[in-house]
Amino acid sequence: MKRIILPLSLASVLLLSACGDKLELEQNAYVVVIGIDLNEVDEHLIDVTFQIANPQVGSSAAGEAPNESPSDIVTFTTTDIFSAKELANSVITRELSFDHLKTIIVGEEFAKNELFHHTIASALMEPQMRLENTLIVSKEKAREFIQKNKPELETRPHKYYFYMEQRWKDTGLVPHSDLNRYFQRTSGELFLANYATTKKEEQIKPNEDDYRAGEIPQKSGDPVQMMGAAVFKNGKMIGTLTGEETRMALLLRTKSLTHYTIQSLPDPINDDYRISIQLTNGNTKVKVDVKTDTPKVNVTVPVNVQVFSNNSLANYTTNLSNHQKLKQSIEAHLEQMAMKLVKKTQEEFRSEPFWWYLNARQQFWTIDEYNKYDWEEKYANANVDVKFKVTIESLGPQIKPEVINDK
Amino acid sequence: MSFFKNKQNKNEENESEANQQTNEEPLSDEVMLNLTKLQTIFSYPTNNALQIRNLFLPIYDKSIVVLSIEGTVDVNLIDTTILQPLLRKSDGSLPNIDFVSLLLTTILPTADAKLITTVNEVQQSLVNGSTVILVDNEACAVSIDTVKFENRSVSEPTTETTIIGPKAAFNESAAVNRSLLRKQIRNPNFFCDPVTIGQHSEQEVSVMYIKNIADNGIVEEVIKRLKAIETDAILTLSQVEQYIEERPYSIFPTTLMTERPDRAASFILEGHVVLIMENSPTALIVPTTFWSFIHTVEDQYLRMPYGNFLRTIRLIALFIALLTPALYIAVTTFHTGMIPTDLMLAIAATRERIPFPVIAEIIIMEVAFEILREAGVRVPTTLGPTIGIVGALILGQAAVEANLISPILVVIVAITGLSSFTIPDVSFNISIRMLRFVFLFSAYLFGFFGIAIVGAFLLAYLVSMKSFGVSFFEPLSPHYPSSKDLLARPPIWKQWIRPMSMSPKQKARAPKPKGDGNNE
Repeated sequence: MKRIILPLSLASVLLLSACGDKLELEQNAYVVVIGIDLNEVDEHLIDVTFQIANPQVGSSAAGEAPNESPSDIVTFTTTDIFSAKELANSVITRELSFDHLKTIIVGEEFAKNELFHHTIASALMEPQMRLENTLIVSKEKAREFIQKNKPELETRPHKYYFYMEQRWKDTGLVPHSDLNRYFQRTSGELFLANYATTKKEEQIKPNEDDYRAGEIPQKSGDPVQMMGAAVFKNGKMIGTLTGEETRMALLLRTKSLTHYTIQSLPDPINDDYRISIQLTNGNTKVKVDVKTDTPKVNVTVPVNVQVFSNNSLANYTTNLSNHQKLKQSIEAHLEQMAMKLVKKTQEEFRSEPFWWYLNARQQFWTIDEYNKYDWEEKYANANVDVKFKVTIESLGPQIKPEVINDK
Repeated sequence: MSFFKNKQNKNEENESEANQQTNEEPLSDEVMLNLTKLQTIFSYPTNNALQIRNLFLPIYDKSIVVLSIEGTVDVNLIDTTILQPLLRKSDGSLPNIDFVSLLLTTILPTADAKLITTVNEVQQSLVNGSTVILVDNEACAVSIDTVKFENRSVSEPTTETTIIGPKAAFNESAAVNRSLLRKQIRNPNFFCDPVTIGQHSEQEVSVMYIKNIADNGIVEEVIKRLKAIETDAILTLSQVEQYIEERPYSIFPTTLMTERPDRAASFILEGHVVLIMENSPTALIVPTTFWSFIHTVEDQYLRMPYGNFLRTIRLIALFIALLTPALYIAVTTFHTGMIPTDLMLAIAATRERIPFPVIAEIIIMEVAFEILREAGVRVPTTLGPTIGIVGALILGQAAVEANLISPILVVIVAITGLSSFTIPDVSFNISIRMLRFVFLFSAYLFGFFGIAIVGAFLLAYLVSMKSFGVSFFEPLSPHYPSSKDLLARPPIWKQWIRPMSMSPKQKARAPKPKGDGNNE
């Protein structure tokens, strides 16, 4: 008898445990984007917008439902994300799942509020919230941003953010920002988040990467522009950087995040034109001297340059003095840009997004000593010297640009 | 445990009964009396198997009776090697000795004649295909080996096919099988120990090994287990296998059947013992480790990179066959975050219209596939293509279109089924297919956690399993020096050492290759 009872009771334990809260794949509603805004009426409440992917649109032909939209966008006003998740089932038929949440969009107004950090930090207690989620700051309300974002090429909302993220890694026009990085840099250091908007205030500038989101001259297409960075300090947004500044901030880090960037610089021979180069980052070397009261920071950035276009048609290939001039001009231009950015961070933000604190921290025996030194405060007055070492790798496959001879 | 006890008690009862039947009764010197006894034993003439020829030999002035059993003897051989010499007058003078000795030494030109003295021996000789000569006034008989059973010729292997390598397979004749092995191993130390098993219908099992390689302990253990078999009749080696293996209830095999003489020979050269038996078109190899179930002969015949590539593919396929349905169910019910969003949405979109939970869906398909496979084996060859068409329809298009299953599941089941065909050994193949369901249910109940738990239990069970004193994962774990022909194989000239897990008497096959940083 015992022999029967034991396996039976074991089997019942197996059968009755663990699967109580199980849901089949299709019984969940998958939130792919969350937008968070400050409520206009009550300052302690937030508006949470869920963008829920509709599996039946744009996937396999077998499950196609042609008359449905690819995603459902709903906004709820609650105290935190999870009460919104519960509340959502008053509208949405399926249980909300954050398993495939990829992107969190925060309105600029909310990002500048203290509530931002509290909301995000408390949301992470839920296991479904992942630290890999991308953080984007939108100039307008996140709800408006999500509703206006209708990319032509992507039916699925998550696909849009996925591809954008892939490109960010290469271009460096926006920083690579996710919650993980945000939580690493909440004490003093600057955290750069993606800056995006659907509101346009077009400006025309000669330098193609010197824009913030919304300023890029663009005709037709998806209204969303992602450019530049929102700067966070101590869990609050304190300012923005343009695309150019963002690139430079990434380039000055010991371990640069961008693979290669294409940008244009003024032509040293002919002021009317600009030349386009591709920058590949070598290993940036940062030396921090903390022995004195005003720390000295020496940064050497070796960069490899490939010249892509040369509108002035000047001869840089066979004329060695031109070549030298080009090299010096690129170095000078980059150094000037870098120093401008450093100055901005010292004066405006009074902290640095370059991770130089890591180099500074190495020089102390204990964390207490480092804290006592107060790097953040010292940085604001530090003597920073940035040197670029340019190696021109190539000037294009053609030796000389084709010049039309005057007759 | 009471199972085993009952079985043993029963055997003991049978034993006393069997002993009575096999009592040794000497032959009488009255030839007709002996003949009558034998006729009674073989129920002559109701059973006309016994063929009796009464002869009077005028040359020797003797009456003799020549006995044989129909269907077991070569009639031509009897005529040319027994009857003709008996009836022909010898040229020279005959030595002055008694007639029986004369028969054995002078008259019969065969080497396989021997003197027997009991009724039981006569009976055994007859059923084994010998011809027996009863001589008047002699209390003994002469048995001459004239055995000839009907036999298939040596053909190509059917289950262990290879592209290159020898194409001969064992057939149902033990003599042919032994000959095929001796053709491979030409060594005076290649031993063949006959062990007789079965009480009513005695069968001989040949225990074959190389004396100066195989470990005595293993050989003795095999012979001991063979001798311990207590049953009236054993027809094939597959039954012998079930008697001598360590864990009859286990789903893992601990012995290996092969139909390839070259494979059996390579095992013999590593110190394994091979059993050959009449009526079995396979050889039984003991002891066996895990590695022999994932190896094929072709791994060694092909060049080293090719062999390793195929072996890697097979290993991957082994895990696919074992785990894919479980992984699918774990991922879709517990760990949805792991699937790429697009794939997840595609699965969810197709699953929305399917009325069953994932587990039901997957069981429907897996069971359908198993049915199809079993049907494929049993179906008459002429109906073979029908099965293919029906199977493709059931498992593919129609089931999806009828909203019974989602399309991705067809992929899962197809790849699982296909992978399971790469496992070379039949027994191991079935055990993997059974285990797949265990993993499936554990994954359904606990997700990856369940798979990990079952995997841990499985591994613990496998490492504790032994085959004739050799652990299942030897020589990898516990570790012994070996040729490292385990997961991957080294080049053939580096396989100079025999696996020490088999405790072979000669450790090396060849001198250690020099140079190139060979460490072992």
